[in-house]
Amino acid sequence: MNRTFVDMAGGRLSLSNLEKDLYPSYGFTKAQILEYYRGIAPFILPHLKDRALTLKRYPEGVEKDFFFEKRCPGHRPAWVKTAEVPQHDGEPMTFCLVNDLETLIWVENLASLELHVPLARAGSPETPDSMVFDLDPGDPANILDCSRVALILRDLLSGMGLASYVKTSGQKGLHVFVALNRKETTFDDTKTFSKAVAEIMQKHYPDLVTSKMAKQERKAKVFINWSQNDASKTMICVYSLRAREKPFISFPLEWKELKNLAGLGDPEKLQVTHSEAVRRAEEKGDLFREVLVKEQKLPHL
Amino acid sequence: MAVQGIWSGTISFSLVAIPVRLVTAVKPGRVSFHLLHSKDYSRLSRRMFCPEEGTMVTPDEIIRGYEVMPDKYVLMTDEELESVSPERSRTIEILEFIDVKEVDPIYYDHPYYLVPSKGGEKAYQLLVEVMRRTNKAGLAKFVLAEREYLVAVKSREGALELVTLHYSDEILPDEDISPKKEKIEVEEENRIKKSIQKMIEDFDPGKYADERRKKLMDILATKAKGKALVEAPAIEAEEGEGPADLVAALEESMRKVKESR
Repeated sequence: MNRTFVDMAGGRLSLSNLEKDLYPSYGFTKAQILEYYRGIAPFILPHLKDRALTLKRYPEGVEKDFFFEKRCPGHRPAWVKTAEVPQHDGEPMTFCLVNDLETLIWVENLASLELHVPLARAGSPETPDSMVFDLDPGDPANILDCSRVALILRDLLSGMGLASYVKTSGQKGLHVFVALNRKETTFDDTKTFSKAVAEIMQKHYPDLVTSKMAKQERKAKVFINWSQNDASKTMICVYSLRAREKPFISFPLEWKELKNLAGLGDPEKLQVTHSEAVRRAEEKGDLFREVLVKEQKLPHL
Repeated sequence: MAVQGIWSGTISFSLVAIPVRLVTAVKPGRVSFHLLHSKDYSRLSRRMFCPEEGTMVTPDEIIRGYEVMPDKYVLMTDEELESVSPERSRTIEILEFIDVKEVDPIYYDHPYYLVPSKGGEKAYQLLVEVMRRTNKAGLAKFVLAEREYLVAVKSREGALELVTLHYSDEILPDEDISPKKEKIEVEEENRIKKSIQKMIEDFDPGKYADERRKKLMDILATKAKGKALVEAPAIEAEEGEGPADLVAALEESMRKVKESR
């Protein structure tokens, strides 16, 4: 195995197989992946901080098998921060916390191309700091249909006094986030609220939207997956790479930007690639910052 | 593919340092089951229950208490626990070499293998060979998963084995177990000796297997093949409206959205 050593503030890191092409049909090596995450680090780290990371590792690249790894690997360097989070069975499990650049690079060296985190921080696993609507198009619906749904959703929420934020999933869909950041809010609250919203959307736009999980209900419609609002679920972190054919990013968009891009009628136009991502983030700043800080109370609960 | 290590570092004494990985040496044959709800097959989760209040307790309300006498506890915080946890370490430092035969098997706790990492193969082999010839084991202190263990590093079939040992104060006294010494008749002694003699064999653990486990795995394999599988439901919440206030407010907001479009 080819190894390269880098000295970082936290300690010495041994990086392996840097020349390996992990997106073979596009051409994107591990070195380029590490370079992307190094560049996006100032933007992604606040969103990973203190959240129990689920690694999704692609040791042989995006076209081969992957595996989820929830438990923070035992062979981790001593400086990797961890948290114990109780699982389904009540037993605590040790998770990695990606709180600094060193850990981010170490995790990427494990080929964890996708970074998945819960909606709650590890210290308060039952308190979501945001509510999410995961918009998932069922064939032949696509990201343009998701954009229509997202824009209606934004207005509906805004009528309830709630500001919302949108990002691409980096795959086919969109994620709409509502910042909460109040310790009184529970997953029961966000689940009740998001489910009611999804059902209203389905009632008024039955040809476009479904709130039902069942596959046959989702055909040609946008499924508003409200059930992601759960302590046991994770979402792809904003600014994370996705393991698709092309290295697309789960990237935040301004609402007017979404409207304009969707108006062009080309689904590809909504996708953000790695090279664009760093440039756009540096230019516009973190469009998802408010998700971490803005306090909002869910009304009528 | 190489076995994934649960720890990596170096094993060292005097001027020798050998890079190694620790891998587990046994896989307990316990068959484990998940607990499901008989009605819908969904996986059940455990919650902590407060019998006093009759409610479920969230993790942020759970603290640790050490029972000093019935219903009297000393509280212990995470920080206090952390303060006594040993530093994680990257070395297995051999403190002394002892005679393997000297270690009473009652001290053996959990066995692991040590695998040489790149660059350490030669020194590793040398240590294996010398310990084998001299019948010595290295005694070391070793921190794994926030606990400090006393371990023995031994030579075993061309490789290094690491066994965690119980601390001596964990071994319970046996003085109450052995009965009072009584005079043993020679005749009786000979009779027992003869019985044992007749049953002597070489130790061959391969002859024995966990029969219950074998039967259990057979049943499971047959059932899985016959597709006697049940499926956990996708969390599909029951039909039904949200809180009336909320639904009314959403309807009002939706009306405005549609008007403005």
